[in-house]
Amino acid sequence: MTATTRTIRSVKTPANYESIAWKWMRYSAFLLIPLVWGHLILQDVVVGVHNMDLGYVADRWANVGWRIYDGLLLAFAFAHGVNGLRQVLNDFIHKPTGRLILNWGLFIFWLSITVIGFIALIGGVNQQFPLQ
Amino acid sequence: MHYKLKIFRFHPEQDARPHYQHFELDADPTERVLDVLEQIRGEQDGTLAFRRSCAHGVCGSDAMRINGRNYLACKVLLRDLNAAEITIEPILGLRVVKDLIVDMEPFFDHYKSVLPYLINDDPLPADGRERLQSPEDRERFDDTTKCILCAACTTSCPSFWANGEYVGPAAIVNAHRFIYDSRDQGAEKRLEILNEQMGVWRCRTAFNCTEACPREIKITQAIAEVKRAIHTGKLE
Repeated sequence: MTATTRTIRSVKTPANYESIAWKWMRYSAFLLIPLVWGHLILQDVVVGVHNMDLGYVADRWANVGWRIYDGLLLAFAFAHGVNGLRQVLNDFIHKPTGRLILNWGLFIFWLSITVIGFIALIGGVNQQFPLQ
Repeated sequence: MHYKLKIFRFHPEQDARPHYQHFELDADPTERVLDVLEQIRGEQDGTLAFRRSCAHGVCGSDAMRINGRNYLACKVLLRDLNAAEITIEPILGLRVVKDLIVDMEPFFDHYKSVLPYLINDDPLPADGRERLQSPEDRERFDDTTKCILCAACTTSCPSFWANGEYVGPAAIVNAHRFIYDSRDQGAEKRLEILNEQMGVWRCRTAFNCTEACPREIKITQAIAEVKRAIHTGKLE
C-alpha cells in the first residue's frame, strides 16, 4: 500500500468586508428558509392577507415569541435582500464614487427601515382596535 | 450538406456599426467550423477576419460564439451543432477589433493580475535541479493546468459581461493552479488579490464557464475551492 503524501498548508487570509458579506448571504439564506416559509404559510394561507388588521397585529405581538420571530425575519431577510441588491447594482455602477454613494445609500436605507421596524416591534401596538 | 452561415462583421475604420453577412456553402458535417470559415475566407470573402493558429484545440486562438455558445472553432464539428443555419459572432465582453477578432488585452491584464507564475524564494535543491513534489501533490491542481487561455470561460460569464473589472474565471483558474501547488509560496498574495470585490466574490456560480471550457476544466469547482481557501485558510 502506498502512503498518501498530500501536503496540507495553512495560509493567512484575513477576513474583509466582501468575504464576510459573502458568508452572511449564505448563512442568512439558511435561516430564511424556515423563517420566510413559516411567515408566508401563516400570513398568506392560514390567516389570509384580507383578515389582517391592527387587531390581528396586536394579538400576534402580545406573544413575545412572535416578536422575536418577526425581529429575526426583519434582521435576516432585509439585510440579505439589501446586500443582494448591492451586488446586483454593482454590475451597473462602474465608478468608485458611484459605488461609494450606492454603499452608503443602501446602508442608510437598510438602517432606517430596520430601526423603524424594531421600534414597532419593541413598542408593540399600544392602541385600541378598532381605532377610536 | 448545405449550410447557411450568418457571420458578425465589423470593420471599425469603415463601418459605422456592426452587421451580419450571410454566406452559403456545401460542407461535410464532419468538418469543423474553422474549416468552413477558412473555406469562406478562401473562396467567398478574403476580408473575413478571425484568429487561428494551431487549429487543434491547443493554442486557444479561435474561441468564438457559435449559435449562441462559446466554442473553439477548431474543436466543434458542424454535425455537433445540429443545425443547418449557423450564427458566428465574436466572444462577448471584449472590444471587437475586426469581425471575429477581439481585443484580448483586458483579459490578459486580469490573468497577469493574479501572479500566474511559480513564486518560491527558497534556494534550489542541492543538486541544482527541479523542486520535487509527490504525485498526489501534483494531482491536486492537475485540472487547472489544462487552461489554454482561450477566454471562452471568461467571455461566457454574466458577471464579466456586466462588469469587465471582474478578474473572471480564467484568471481564477490560473491562480488556483499555483495556489494549490505545494512548491509555490505565493498563495497568500494571490488569495489577497482574489479576496476583493472584483475577485472571486463576483462569481455567482452560473456554471457558464464550466460549460464553455473546451478543455473541460471544472472551473466553478476551482473557483469554489479558492473561496473555501480564503474562508478556511487551509490549502488541502
